Amino acid sequence: MNIDHIKKEFPIFDKKIQNNDLVYLDSANSSQKPKIVVDRINEFYTKQFSNVGRSVHYLAVAATNLYENTRTSVQKYINAKDKNEIVFTKGATEALNLVANTLGQNYLQEGDEVLITELEHHSNYVPWHFLRKSKNIKINFAEINEEGEITLEEIEKKITPKTKLISITHLSNVTGAILPVKEITQLAHSKGIIVVVDGCQGAPHLKLDMHDLDCDFYAISCHKMYGPTGLGVLYGKKKWLEELPPYQGGGGMISEVKKDRISYGDLPNKYEAGTMATAQVIAFDQSIKFLESIGIENIMRHEADLVEYGQELLKKNNSVKLIGNPKNKGGVLSFTIEGVHPHDIATILDEDGVAIRAGHHCCQILHDKLDIPASARASVGIYNTKEDLDQLNDSINNCKKIFNL
Amino acid sequence: MNLKELYQEIILEHGKNPRNLRKTEGFNKDAKGNNPLCGDNVHVYLKLNGQRIVEDVSFQGSGCAISMASASIMTDLIKGKNEHEAKEIVEDFLGMIKENPELKSEYLNKDEKTKLMCLSGVKQYPMRVKCATLSWHTLVSAFDNKKEEVKTEN
Repeated sequence: MNIDHIKKEFPIFDKKIQNNDLVYLDSANSSQKPKIVVDRINEFYTKQFSNVGRSVHYLAVAATNLYENTRTSVQKYINAKDKNEIVFTKGATEALNLVANTLGQNYLQEGDEVLITELEHHSNYVPWHFLRKSKNIKINFAEINEEGEITLEEIEKKITPKTKLISITHLSNVTGAILPVKEITQLAHSKGIIVVVDGCQGAPHLKLDMHDLDCDFYAISCHKMYGPTGLGVLYGKKKWLEELPPYQGGGGMISEVKKDRISYGDLPNKYEAGTMATAQVIAFDQSIKFLESIGIENIMRHEADLVEYGQELLKKNNSVKLIGNPKNKGGVLSFTIEGVHPHDIATILDEDGVAIRAGHHCCQILHDKLDIPASARASVGIYNTKEDLDQLNDSINNCKKIFNL
Repeated sequence: MNLKELYQEIILEHGKNPRNLRKTEGFNKDAKGNNPLCGDNVHVYLKLNGQRIVEDVSFQGSGCAISMASASIMTDLIKGKNEHEAKEIVEDFLGMIKENPELKSEYLNKDEKTKLMCLSGVKQYPMRVKCATLSWHTLVSAFDNKKEEVKTEN
């Protein structure tokens, strides 16, 4: 695998950004886009555009086929049993809201407990909080250990006879911890508990196999998978998607509409109300092709090498404190520097063309637990190299110099 | 872009050792501000006397060097001014950070203007402007005794 060749497929790296070569270390936030994805959007709008699933003219039929092709590609990529288990949403956030909302309508009752973790992104907490307000459900938090991990034992400890659902991240966007989702699902199912997985960080960086994981729902963010923004995927087991009520009402999701009654369409249309992000869905097929052309095993190996290298580098750097030290770690290096606020770090690194994120990364619960208001985070993607991490370290040293450390 | 202009020695010094980082005893006005995007927060305490002169002003909170230095310099400058003067200084500062090349207020002496202009480097960093302005918006809110938290927009 030649990273230089792969990097050449991303047009963003062709030009200088503010007179610097771009060192993009913000892929956990959103990944850059390969040319084939960008070109596909252009091609669809300029040569093939039509709305899907409605008209019978040539372009409409062709566009519908393209749209459905992506659904099949996603199904195969994540090894789902049925293509109707793939629902397109406007993002992983909407996917998680869809699950919380529909389970809230039809399944969760007052007094039921939902177990999440201290690692969760706000998008896997706030939708459950809505149900805490509207349905009086209770939310429990599994706690992180010293290394910033959530263990199977901790989950087991927090399950009560009232626990109806566990909603967990696959890979923490702050500590990088990879959760034992398969084992947690086995345990949960043995007690009749549903499992929802926030796969925003898992999907771009780990091998996905829904059949093997056996979780009930899995939410995916396409723009973190070298795909377009405005698009997410919800995988849901067919029995759930069939049983649960629709999330939004509108065109495309109905079967029959009368003044006194309405019946809803079959899967997956039932959950895809209104005109969907058609061009994004069609272009996302290219993102999957791109990932497949490299191979997820190669991606995982490359990113694991990078993280190990980066961790060693930063551990050796005085005054840098890494957040979390999980055994199973994804491509995220979160850190603080004693005496320099993360926003100042990010601004100073940016001057060298090093793009990182600073803040609480939508994980205030975790930052409260760690007793820090914010952290700096460098996260890697397939286009990153060890030289990028050397540059990160050099820029951190510059930062220390400016702050007289 | 110029990092040296942004992180001048005086900013780093105030950022490291902020003045008036405490809670005024017997304060009679206060307000909270936060920056929801980055989690920075500030709580400003004011003690006004009968003539509405600032007898003491202080702040608590956490944030980057820019926001801490800005709050520190602000509290230093505002002490001893009356409400009208203080609010005009706030207007003048916000105008300078947004677009004006210099400070105009007659209530600031030359030294005070020089000190405040140290924060002008932030103009070149649009994402950081809110760091510099949060405590100033919160000060106005404290004067007006507003109960709702200030949330910064650029």
